Amino acid sequence: MIKIAQLSCGTEYSAVQGEIENAAETVGAKMVYPDVNMDKIDKAVQDFGFNPHSPQLKLMIARAIELADKNYDADAIFIATCFRCAEAALVRTELRKYVQEHTRLPVVTYSFTERTKAAQLLTRMEALVTIVERKELLARERQVGLTAGLDSGSSTTKAVIMHDNEIIGKYWLPTTDVFSAAETALVNALAEAGVKREQLEAIGTTGYGRYTLGKMFKAKLVQEELTVNSKGAVWLAGKQKGEATIIDIGGMDNKAITVRDGIPDNFTMGGICAGASGRFLELTAKRLKVEITELGDLADKGDHTKVKMNSYCSIFGIQDLVTSLAAGNTLEDVAAAACHSVAEQIYEQQLQEIEVRHPIIQVGGTALISGMVTAMEHTLGERPIVPPNPQYIGAVGAALLSSGLLG
Amino acid sequence: MNNDVETRLILIAPSSDLTPDRVARFVHNLGFLVSVKETCYGVVIEGPKEEVWHTLTEVRKLDPNRIFSKIRAFPMGDIRRCRAHHGSRPGFAQLEKEWKDLCLVEKGLVCLEKGEKPPELKKRTKMPVSDLKKFIEEESP
Amino acid sequence: MKIFIMPPNSLILYDLVERFGHQPLSLMGALKDRVNSKEIEAPPLNVTLDDVKLGLKYAGIEIPSGIRGRMAIYGPLIDQAEAAIFMEDAPYSFGCVGCQRTNELAKLLVRKRKVPILSLEYPENEDEAKVMVVEIKEFLEELK
Repeated sequence: MIKIAQLSCGTEYSAVQGEIENAAETVGAKMVYPDVNMDKIDKAVQDFGFNPHSPQLKLMIARAIELADKNYDADAIFIATCFRCAEAALVRTELRKYVQEHTRLPVVTYSFTERTKAAQLLTRMEALVTIVERKELLARERQVGLTAGLDSGSSTTKAVIMHDNEIIGKYWLPTTDVFSAAETALVNALAEAGVKREQLEAIGTTGYGRYTLGKMFKAKLVQEELTVNSKGAVWLAGKQKGEATIIDIGGMDNKAITVRDGIPDNFTMGGICAGASGRFLELTAKRLKVEITELGDLADKGDHTKVKMNSYCSIFGIQDLVTSLAAGNTLEDVAAAACHSVAEQIYEQQLQEIEVRHPIIQVGGTALISGMVTAMEHTLGERPIVPPNPQYIGAVGAALLSSGLLG
Repeated sequence: MNNDVETRLILIAPSSDLTPDRVARFVHNLGFLVSVKETCYGVVIEGPKEEVWHTLTEVRKLDPNRIFSKIRAFPMGDIRRCRAHHGSRPGFAQLEKEWKDLCLVEKGLVCLEKGEKPPELKKRTKMPVSDLKKFIEEESP
Repeated sequence: MKIFIMPPNSLILYDLVERFGHQPLSLMGALKDRVNSKEIEAPPLNVTLDDVKLGLKYAGIEIPSGIRGRMAIYGPLIDQAEAAIFMEDAPYSFGCVGCQRTNELAKLLVRKRKVPILSLEYPENEDEAKVMVVEIKEFLEELK
């Protein structure tokens, strides 16, 4: 049984403690609370160097130090505090850094509200368990042999064939039926690579449809997208060592993942409204009567400040778009404003919950739209790195990691 | 659990000669309808409110200024508050601290019992800026 | 009389209030019914989503959920308080009373009720403990 040490404040009073324990149980783990006696708390706070007013936060610090000093045995750490509490957010972030510097334990942080449910925590808990159980596998930086990665996303399915740390075949198409989309992607990627399916030494699957595909294709690796996408992103960007932030703006949702040596320690996920995803850009392209592939160049020529657009809701966002076109704004300005609106949503909704680390790696299909990268650059104050093939992070990660399971 | 049932912590101040074992045996011998369990700092008792109260009154008589008590929300041996199950819950450290300081409270109770006037305490105040300025000027070469 | 104590789970305050003939309003008392309920919707304390919403009576929606959830327990105690004893700078108070913002809000709400309040410092030595015990006794005697 994997023991996840809980360092938290407010969970029992926000109706989420039960949800945390359920999520842990679902992935075969158990939440534990490091024992600390009173005498150690003041010293721990003093040694740590930040003295919060709230006693529970002091206790969190003391518990973290017990873990760092190896006085308490756990396999992973989950740090959680109330969303919107400034004092707790400071402690949460600094404790995350502290335990990463002083322990080898994987860490995931979360800021919850009373609406947080086990399902939202599940991917995080699953990732913690993956990191514990597959530590050596995740440390792999090179792909070896001949392997395939299948990423069954909510809007597109991607396949990649890799041979000795190089991509030799790739293909993507919209997800329809999970299996047939994956089959088509794999057939086409194999054709580009010029290899036969029988020659493949391993297949890895990830994304929403990973379990279905894992069975169908007899995959050696079936793994959640958090650890797999992180691996793929840092491999593609050539940033396997040190810290980074991965911004993954997909067709239906978006993720912001912070990683250290390619292993994720926190992430946030949006997607309740399509206004902060690639879908809004698709709607914009359709309304402007341009191909989605042309939208980026168009946006790069425009000035977003001339158009007031807010894609907080995609319906109102498109209304703004129609109004601004009617007012005589150019297509370029409107395209730029649409990209900016998506970037702002991601900044305001996702990036507030995590601590942005450098470099910033932008991936997902939307990273191919240059205007979207420019908009992120304006919002963040630095241009994100866009690796080649940014839409293939999941497939590349799966191909790379599955090669680690070869006998 | 029935609303009329109460769970109580009875704590023995560190300065007392009583032991949890002795208090537990004493409770057993009282014959009230309560269950009793030893802890590091005393005992936990549980039973109908009235019986618990009578037990407490009798236990207090053993060492009135060194026996302390409060109620507990969780029933005796509840797994949700069990240390062995997944480590101590947050309230544990607090109880530990208060238990240690019961020796101080005992001194207060003794003072009250004897009808002594408590000592006048000096309040720690911050130095006026003018005094501080004068002090710096005096110290500066 | 019903005395609100701060920290509301303090062993020392609970004991002294009861010893001197009053009824302490404590968190343990407030949590007892919840945790012993047949239906535990939100383990371990059974502070449910609905409770966190009830906390809105005491703190707005922009306030963190942990504060609103705690206020759902503190609030009804404050509403009943006929007097209060605050122990300032208590060096403990983890767990239920681990959030200093909630504790400050609770004290404010008690003050707004205009009930008699005794504010004390947590004793650090015998002399301070003597003063504390005598002051508590006098305060509670006067209420009778």
